[in-house]
Amino acid sequence: MRWKRFLSIVALVSAVGLGIGVCSMAQSNFMVQCPADNDGIDADGDGDPTNDIVCKHLTAGDGFATMADGTVMYTFGFSEVPEDVPPGQVFALRQVKAELPGPTIVLREGQELYLNLTNVGMINRPDLFDTHSVHWHGIPNSGSIFDGLPESAPTVKIGATFPYYYATLGKEGTYFYHCHVEVTEHMQMGMIGQIYVLPRQDQDMVLRSSGNPPYAGFAYNDGDGSTGYHVSKAIQLAGFDSRFHAQHIAIQNLPFAQLKDDYHLMNGRGYPDTINPNLLGASPENNGHFSQRMDARIQARQGERVLLRVHNISTTHLFTVRVLGIPMKVVGIDGKLLRNGSKDLFYETSSLTIGGGQAADLLLDTTGVPPGTYFFYTTNLSELINGQEERGGIMTEIVVCPASGCGT
Amino acid sequence: MRKSRWFGLALGAWAMLEMTTAAWTQAKIIGVEGTSFDLVARQDRITLGDGDSMLMWGFALGEGRMQYPGPTLILRQGDTVTVTLRNSLPREAGNVSIVFPGHEVTASGGVEGVLTREAPPDNTTVVTYTFTATRPGTYVYHSGTRPDLQVEMGLVGVIVVRPANPTPTPDCSPVPQGHNEAPPRSLCAGTKFAYDHPDTAYDREFLILMTDMDPRVHRLVEFGRIREIDTTNFFQTVWFANGRNFPDTIANAQVPWLPTQPYNALFLMHPGERLLVRMATLGRDPHPLHFHGNHVRVIAKDGVLLSSGLGAGSDLSYERYTVAVNPCETVDAIYTWTGALMGWDIYGHAPGDPLAPYEFIGDHGANFPVILPSRDDVKFGQLYSGSPFLGGEGFLPPEHAGLNVGGGFFYMWHSHTEKELTNNNVFPGGLITFLGVVPWNVPLESE
Repeated sequence: MRWKRFLSIVALVSAVGLGIGVCSMAQSNFMVQCPADNDGIDADGDGDPTNDIVCKHLTAGDGFATMADGTVMYTFGFSEVPEDVPPGQVFALRQVKAELPGPTIVLREGQELYLNLTNVGMINRPDLFDTHSVHWHGIPNSGSIFDGLPESAPTVKIGATFPYYYATLGKEGTYFYHCHVEVTEHMQMGMIGQIYVLPRQDQDMVLRSSGNPPYAGFAYNDGDGSTGYHVSKAIQLAGFDSRFHAQHIAIQNLPFAQLKDDYHLMNGRGYPDTINPNLLGASPENNGHFSQRMDARIQARQGERVLLRVHNISTTHLFTVRVLGIPMKVVGIDGKLLRNGSKDLFYETSSLTIGGGQAADLLLDTTGVPPGTYFFYTTNLSELINGQEERGGIMTEIVVCPASGCGT
Repeated sequence: MRKSRWFGLALGAWAMLEMTTAAWTQAKIIGVEGTSFDLVARQDRITLGDGDSMLMWGFALGEGRMQYPGPTLILRQGDTVTVTLRNSLPREAGNVSIVFPGHEVTASGGVEGVLTREAPPDNTTVVTYTFTATRPGTYVYHSGTRPDLQVEMGLVGVIVVRPANPTPTPDCSPVPQGHNEAPPRSLCAGTKFAYDHPDTAYDREFLILMTDMDPRVHRLVEFGRIREIDTTNFFQTVWFANGRNFPDTIANAQVPWLPTQPYNALFLMHPGERLLVRMATLGRDPHPLHFHGNHVRVIAKDGVLLSSGLGAGSDLSYERYTVAVNPCETVDAIYTWTGALMGWDIYGHAPGDPLAPYEFIGDHGANFPVILPSRDDVKFGQLYSGSPFLGGEGFLPPEHAGLNVGGGFFYMWHSHTEKELTNNNVFPGGLITFLGVVPWNVPLESE
């Protein structure tokens, strides 16, 4: 592997660079902004007035992911800084920790998010000095300062931290985030993650008990429980062009014009890794660190409703997705309830085309569905691949258990 | 990385913007109005975002130069329209024709073709297409002769049909102050309608035609090797908004250095205004157009209002943050932006300050929520004003281009098939343009 050649350079660079850097930067540049919630207002309506501010500390850097056929790919990505890492150690301890996809952020409507982003650099590409950003894709009425566009906002340099702020009232729904710096490259490299906002209606216990069994939550503030679900799963469709990643770690010109994904991913994995419940990606290249921490398995008991929050963040492909054998209803698209005034625009379908940058909320009703294993997959059949390996790519399993339960 | 090739261009484009105009100049729908149009198919060249020059076939208006895309034809609902076509292309280009999807066309003259009557490349024969613009909306036109090659070569254009008897009323309402939510547009102020219903009222309208290109085809044409072109293995490497690649998309319209690419795509608005965004795609691929800043409300497709029945308005409309526009499809949407529910006062007001037009009351006087990092910690974007506030300004480091006149918020509107944000292997480029939300004290041209 050619990247190993750079490790010695990297070690040198970081030893020299950090030795000087950390002393002067540690206090201010890794400062995490997280005000206390002491306004006495219960903004998310869950009965607790002190939990309405959510603070996250993410890093942006590089790492490696392992594809289902064993191919190791160089990646950029986000990861969350554990609370026990002291500010002065973020740079030293959180390099080469990129995850695929990045940490999923789940908020309750009404909560405020302080998202602190530290750029830990791409240590396997010490020639790069790219800044990074977070773009919350699709959030209504965004302010450009927190929109993550390198053209219209400041973006954070290596060794520094930028605070993003988002209010979520009235913004329940399915979204995602990605870095918007050098966006074709950084997204292709894996700087992608999921974010969704649970509706305030989840606090309405009367409406929740209208489900049988009672609903775990709702996709949107529908007012009538029509988007209630028992099981939910967020699924990100993405893809890698293996040549692009190989060229990247080899420090060669990046083939933008020829870009075409040949590894297609659900939550950072190709089938059958999509149904593997374990952490993955701990290759020697990645220093044994698990970079792929999310599966795409879905399990429900007969009679339950399953909410799939699906979005496509591929840089090259539109995907048509389908569930065989379970009725599928589209209740939301692009973070919005499919309703115009009092008119429902829900529709039932067996397939849906989701382009890059689009999201859909799909409700699967397992009432009367015989227990068994069902497939959720792309009908772009030529994309059911992991590189040269077939029967892979964008496919996962939905296990419908008997109503009595799934056993152990 | 690899910025050097485009960076000079980008700066040049932006510098040009600054020098030629006191304020930003927004894209408008620049087209030709009327009921009779003389189009001529001609060969000429365009300039790509990476500086390359590409041979094109396109439509010209009368004796004018070919342009890419062809002239935008602006029609009035109910008018009977005549389009004549003459073919001035080189002989090897073969016949040319025009199809008008969504319209019932009568063709005469020329020779019979597969889809319609065609003009042979003799620079003499005239084909006449006649149709009645029965419905308002956004439409496309393109060559109906060997379209796999001729659409790629640039024989494309857009038609806008305005509703019959629009009842323009003067802007009789003062700009509303302090709305609690994105304001419903008062009918009095909504002077223009996209369709025959107040739901479709707008203040400004923009057009974005998305196209793609495989330069290999154009080179083979240029080198006289048309017979070698294989349109079954198209592989696009260049993408256009209104016939230009970013960063040319945000330069002014009709600049002398892009003589065959007259249309731009820099969209500007004031907070609270309603934009009608007319989208169209011609070429091979659908393009998922992502709107930074806010959702759009899709009100019509292919010139048909999303309505359950007469008088119901756009009651089947829906909101999207990304709209995938398929080849030959058109989508009309309404976009607005006020900054509502952001959680902080985007104007940086103190609680007692007067409200700005369309300001969201709920956030009036609310503190900016974070401490921005030191200027050494960040890289400043060329379109950042130096201040997080709308209409604000602040420190910008030396070398900063200082392109944000008036402290606007700039939002990228771009294809989310991110590969399409390149010009023949050079990032950034392609299907990128910007919306600037500028404060009300920055004047914009009235429509």
